[in-house]
This record gives sequence, structure tokens and C-alpha cells, in this order.
Amino acid sequence: MTALTRTLLALALAAPALLTAAPATAQTDAVTGIATNNATIGRIKTLTGTVSIDRAGQALPALVGMALQQGDRLRTGPVGGVGITLADDSLLTAGPSSQLLISRFAFNPTTYDGSLDATLSRGSLHVVSGLIAKKKPEAISFKARSVVLGVRGTEFIIDLGTEPL
Amino acid sequence: MRQRFLAVLAALLTGCAQVPTERIVLLPGADGHSSGAVLVQRKGGAEGADLLLSTAYAQADVAGDGRVLPSTSDAATVQRDYAALMALQPARPRSFVVNFSSNSNSLTPDTVPVLASASTALGALKAGELIVIGHTDRVGTVEANDRLSLQRAEQVRGLLMAAGVPATAIQVSGRGEREPLVPTADEVAEARNRRVEIKLR
Repeated sequence: MTALTRTLLALALAAPALLTAAPATAQTDAVTGIATNNATIGRIKTLTGTVSIDRAGQALPALVGMALQQGDRLRTGPVGGVGITLADDSLLTAGPSSQLLISRFAFNPTTYDGSLDATLSRGSLHVVSGLIAKKKPEAISFKARSVVLGVRGTEFIIDLGTEPL
Repeated sequence: MRQRFLAVLAALLTGCAQVPTERIVLLPGADGHSSGAVLVQRKGGAEGADLLLSTAYAQADVAGDGRVLPSTSDAATVQRDYAALMALQPARPRSFVVNFSSNSNSLTPDTVPVLASASTALGALKAGELIVIGHTDRVGTVEANDRLSLQRAEQVRGLLMAAGVPATAIQVSGRGEREPLVPTADEVAEARNRRVEIKLR
């Protein structure tokens, strides 16, 4: 078997797997119908101390200017903090020893339809809600440990205290 | 039953209910006024447990036993507890606007200094981005205006790039006729609505 044949054979074998994997990597948002996976949903604007992002099973060191994706979990160290601006102008700022998961984000920049679900499981978070909340408040929600927040275009702080989980 | 057990366990773990395990504080908006409201709901939706925060510094404390208790904070307390957090907040978006001459697709002469201002402000902001958003008046269909607004935004993007702004720092979108500066009836020509907003964030 030549090297070329082996390559072609490998491609032929891999192709069905790639095709079946495609729907999982090309999700579209139910609300806006726009692709959400791997798309940039926002950027890190401010950062202090140690901050990392859990993405696809990896912990990436966070940097100012870094693009965020749906499903990212931000973790800040004991003297860390991070500020992000999402594509709909939402401003989220997490304080020390925080964990913030952005489980769902979609935004259509023409219609301003979209959705945002975020969960703070420890630490503190300052929120300035953005354009999605302005258009349709029920399309966004913030979860803390035992409560869920419905947001009507506003600014607020969630504080889960400093004791470890 | 299970929920009740967990609630009792949580109460035991956190000791008495005096130290709240979760706190939500509604803040005034950037203009100093209350900007909106937050509805605090227990997960699992226990009836009657919702608390609406609708005035500046209204606060919800979740007690160790899971109850959501209303209280009030104030500017000095928020400053004391959260000054470091608020200092890390990203810059609020700000906008520059360029207009199109009446009955034409050409930009007005004051466009050049506006583009220069936007470019300079971008350079002064860490990890800054320019979101270039086209707008139309209400003459024509929604679909046609979506296309036209995007064309206008792309025209301005070209000018920004010519002024030295890197392409990676610019995103374009078209809002069509959805966000008029001056509200009009459909099919009314209004030059002030034919504009491109350059949002810096």
C-alpha cells in the first residue's frame, strides 16, 4: 500500500465521522437562528491577578483582549478579577475567587434578538445588562447558588461571600 | 421532602441565618437614577418566594435557611464593599456618529474629524473595538434598508481602515430602519436617520 493510498483510505474512513460530528459543532441558536458555537461572544477588557478560562476541557490563561466563547467558564484567583464586554454591550465584572459560567449567549446585531444565561457559582459579579435585556428582558437570566435573577435592564451585584464551596 | 432535607442541611452547615449566603444589590444606573429592576426567585420556583428589587440599593439576602429577605444598602456601603470590583468594570460603550448628506449616499464634510476622534479614542482604550452600525430612514422595505444600512456601515469601515484603524478592531452591522434618531411614519425621508454610528467599547 502506498503512502498516498493510505492517506486516501484514512480520509475515507474519517469522513463519515466528520460528517456525523458536524451537527454538534455547528449549533444554531433557537431564538436567533444564528450560529453560536466557536463564535466570539465578547472580549476580556480588564484583568488583575490570576484569571483562567475553562474551555473544552482545558484551562487557558486569560489575557486582556482575549475573545470569549459560549460555554466558557472564567475563574479568578484569590486576588484576581476580570471585566468582560459581551457582544450586546453587557458588562460583566467578576471579583476575587469567582467562577462565572456563560452557558448560553446569542446575539443578532441587526434585530438585537438574543439570549444570555450565566451562572455565578462562587465569588462576586457586577452586571450592567445590555441590548438583549433592553429588547427582551426574559431572554436573559443570571443564576447564583440558590436563586435565579430576572433582569429588567439594570445594574446590580451578586455576592456569594468568600467562604469556599 | 428531599428539598426540605437539603434546606435543613444548608441551615446546619451555615449556622444561624444571620450571615447571608447570597446577596443581590440593585445599583443606580450610570446617571444616578434607578435603572430597572431585578426579580430574585428561588431555584425550583417555591411559590411566594420571589422578591422584586426595583429601587436603587434595594437588596436581597438569601438566609442560611433559604429564605429571600429584603433589605436596603446605600452608596457608602456599596463603595466600602465593592470599590475594587467596580474599578475593574470595562468602559461603557460610547458612540460617534457620521451623517449622510440629504438625498445622497455621500457622507457630510464633518465625517473626517469624527473618524479621527473615533480612531484616537480607540487607540487610548485597552482591547478596544469599534462596532460600526449603519442606519436608514424608513423609505423602502425593511429588507432593502437592512442591506443599505450594512452598505453604509461598510463604507465607513473602509474610511476607518484608510485612516489606519486595523481591520481586526472593526465589526460592522446594519440596523436598517429599526432605530431612527427621529421617529417618523413609514416611507418618510428623514436625513437625520441616515447615519452610521461608530460605537467604541
